[in-house]
Amino acid sequence: MLAFELFVQGLVQGSIYALIAVGLTLVYGLLRILHVAHAGLFTLGGYCGVLVANATGSFLLALLVAMVVVGLAGMAMYRLCYQPILDKPPYVALILSIGLFIAMEELFRLIFGPYGLTFDAPALQGRLEILGINLKHAEWATMAGAVIVLGVLALLASRTRLGIAWRATVTVPQMAESFGINIIQVRYVNFFIGSALAGAAGVMVALANLQVEPTMGSVPSYKALAIIVLGGLGNVRGTLIAALALGVIESYGTIYLGKILERDAIAFAFLIVVLMVRPHGLFAKAGG
Amino acid sequence: MTGIIGNYEMSLLTMVGITVTFALSLNLITGLCGQISLGHAAFYGAGAYAAAMLTKAGVPFALALLAAAAVAAAIGLVVGLASLRVRHDFLAITTMGVGFLFIGIVRQQDALGGTMGISSIPDPGLGKAGFMALCLASAGVVALFSLYVKRSWMGYAFDSIADDEDTARIVGINVPAYKLAAFAIGTGIAGVAGGLYAHNVGIIDPDSFGFIESITVLAMVVIGGNGSVWGVTVAAVMLSMLPHWFQFIDNYKLLVYGGLVFAVMRFSPGGLAGLFAGGLERLRRARMPS
Amino acid sequence: MKFRAAKIAAIALAGVIVAAGSSFAETVKIGFNAPLTGFAAADGKSALNGALLAVEQANAKGGIKGVKIELVYYDDGASPKNSVPVANKLIEKDQVVVGISGSYSGATRAAAGVYQKAGVPYISAYAIHPDITRTGNYVFRTSFVGEVQGRAGAKLIGAMLGKKRVVMITLKNDFGKSLAAGFKEKAAAYGITIVNEYEYSIKDRQFGPIVAKVKADKPTAIYASGYFFTAGPLVSQLRAAGITAVIVGQEGYDSEKFIKIAGKASEGVIITTSLDRDSKSPETANFIAAFEKKTGAKADMVAASAHTAVKVMVAAMRQAGTTDRAAIRDAIAKIRITASTGVISFNALGEVRKDVQVQVVRGGAFRHHSVISDAKLLAPPSK
Repeated sequence: MLAFELFVQGLVQGSIYALIAVGLTLVYGLLRILHVAHAGLFTLGGYCGVLVANATGSFLLALLVAMVVVGLAGMAMYRLCYQPILDKPPYVALILSIGLFIAMEELFRLIFGPYGLTFDAPALQGRLEILGINLKHAEWATMAGAVIVLGVLALLASRTRLGIAWRATVTVPQMAESFGINIIQVRYVNFFIGSALAGAAGVMVALANLQVEPTMGSVPSYKALAIIVLGGLGNVRGTLIAALALGVIESYGTIYLGKILERDAIAFAFLIVVLMVRPHGLFAKAGG
Repeated sequence: MTGIIGNYEMSLLTMVGITVTFALSLNLITGLCGQISLGHAAFYGAGAYAAAMLTKAGVPFALALLAAAAVAAAIGLVVGLASLRVRHDFLAITTMGVGFLFIGIVRQQDALGGTMGISSIPDPGLGKAGFMALCLASAGVVALFSLYVKRSWMGYAFDSIADDEDTARIVGINVPAYKLAAFAIGTGIAGVAGGLYAHNVGIIDPDSFGFIESITVLAMVVIGGNGSVWGVTVAAVMLSMLPHWFQFIDNYKLLVYGGLVFAVMRFSPGGLAGLFAGGLERLRRARMPS
Repeated sequence: MKFRAAKIAAIALAGVIVAAGSSFAETVKIGFNAPLTGFAAADGKSALNGALLAVEQANAKGGIKGVKIELVYYDDGASPKNSVPVANKLIEKDQVVVGISGSYSGATRAAAGVYQKAGVPYISAYAIHPDITRTGNYVFRTSFVGEVQGRAGAKLIGAMLGKKRVVMITLKNDFGKSLAAGFKEKAAAYGITIVNEYEYSIKDRQFGPIVAKVKADKPTAIYASGYFFTAGPLVSQLRAAGITAVIVGQEGYDSEKFIKIAGKASEGVIITTSLDRDSKSPETANFIAAFEKKTGAKADMVAASAHTAVKVMVAAMRQAGTTDRAAIRDAIAKIRITASTGVISFNALGEVRKDVQVQVVRGGAFRHHSVISDAKLLAPPSK
């Protein structure tokens, strides 16, 4: 049934958005920074994935390597780029991040060329049918990955000591420090996890597109921003819901609203409407 | 005069005049009044489209420019109303959304030329030198206007709003009114710049007014040093001339641009104005008897 | 006194040397704009390589009356915002004799205005918007106008392949839309029913919703416009969803990268284009071999088009025998030359008249399928 198929397609796309957006919302929740360069890390993940997969023939290894490399890159980005300017007005970090992202996109193009890199033997192309839904293995994996990972993170944040420490660092950093929580460590872990997930998203998208291109991150760079605002800045659970919702809305929108409004514009129209009604996003509570 | 300055130099200066006008218009909103706008190119585009369609329909150029300002300011007022509802990062993203919405809608309307845009925009009839003079003059006028505003009561109000909105409200400043004023004036001027741009290039398409355009002009304001008229002017000139100066870096110009934006924010977040002010400070301290 | 005379003599001597030196260092400059950064960088690079190859080959044969040809190129990011200043720079600063566009329609259209106004001959290598040549008599085009190729597509699907139930998937830019316009113009004439048309943006790589809808439409053929980086994923996703209808594309697909991306899904895809891989024509075969030798990558349509444009320009300049731009323009208008993309000659509007090559992907490569030479169908607009 078409309507259902469109819904499922929307969930698949939404899962990818979720994996990208979660890192962004973690960073914002922690540092109040709109980390646009996150999309550059996403692309980096795609390149790592393709290169390692083609070199070793193992997709799993490629995924793991991409996540680790990008996670470390994210940590480096925090240390070198963001930490020194934390005391400056917030737009400084935003503009810095945008400049960094543009530079990264260009570096990818200069190093790897403007043409896309392709997988020699793309993995997970088989199809699997569950409950009448027929999708590629890669698509099932992405959806499962997004739900599991974000679900776990949301749980961690609210139920465990680590999560409480994280939330303390966000809301009352000085007190958190006096309680013995290592703020710097929390930040590094934060960046590592968020970036690693973006890297994983990059590999999965490269797999879905069957190519990785230097400009792969340009659409996610702004769309992820819309998603984290919708989900409530810093709210992991909200981000997951917002990402999936946006995926579904875009799915129906491209088919039925396509003549009136473009795909990206649909996302932002939705965003503006929501913000006018609820100026702090759909789910304003941070850390949930 | 025209013997020394060739056609190419004139086209460069014309572009500089338009870009500086555009950058200073955002400076009013973001630099002086502290409202971050990530979608300023939408007003530039609205002005460009309005002016282009009017002159194509036979309306005289000057009138078309005025109309461009009005159209852009009208849309700007609506966005300004949104700024009363959302703040800071939310405002940044809302304005970004406005930018995308603008392109998204324009691309779908065949009446506005759709994805292919509007071409054969009539020549304003001022000649190359005359048009260049107009663009440079507009930049000059907006610069003077900005300096005037800075010293006026409005500038004081803008400054307090930029500094701390809530305190400004407590002190008795009509924050909403001033915010709307900033948006209306800033976007109106952007509309004029857009009208000039349309008649300079002769062809406009929706993709010329996208996110990159908005980011570029915001970078000019921030690199110049938020609020500093001369800083923003210098930054605007530099960033728009960058690709033309260094032919051999043609392949690397975007990388240099991104790197430059990054470096300025990382090492001198006060922008050029901050750099200069810091330098002056050090000079002053060095001269003082210890 | 003596010093003064010596100084004047020195300056005069220097002046003579400089003047002599500059005439020795002279080259004939051809201006070239292409997207080297941004979303269209892949095509821009190919076009540039094709053009550079043609210049190399021309210089190897003595340039133009012994004077070397130099290709002066700049990036325009496929945007009119950049292509206009680039055109100004090429004409004013670099003093190019003629210009060639290796860029997309938006940028080319804007630049064409500048070239026409300055009276500098300009050839559009592969930008297909009809308004480009309407800019003036100094502007020519060596590739098909979008509408012409679209019409050929209608004949291909309706008459030659005999499929009547078609779904259109259109790239939302000048390229896709002019192809769609031409296709729709002739669809009824060949008995085609267009069940639905879907549009997508050049940034899209995930077509889930469209694929699901197309599956529900059950077409017998799909006419999809795009470039290799969009067509590759699109075709792959269509086939993965179990859609078996024949897929017909156009010259935007014409690159080995399309086959690489789509993999097995590319088998059986048919395209209308100007480059025949199996061509017996020495021009085409030589170009394909030389391009692969120079760049290590296989030739694609964009490279072939740029190569052709340069070839035509050089031939015209040789025939005109002078750098007088009006004379060169006349030479271009009268030219008839065989290049890698066919026999090139122009009509009154500056549009090319040539056959449409139809290629099919078989065994992982583009192979000859057929040729459409219906002169009436393929007649380009003449005003």
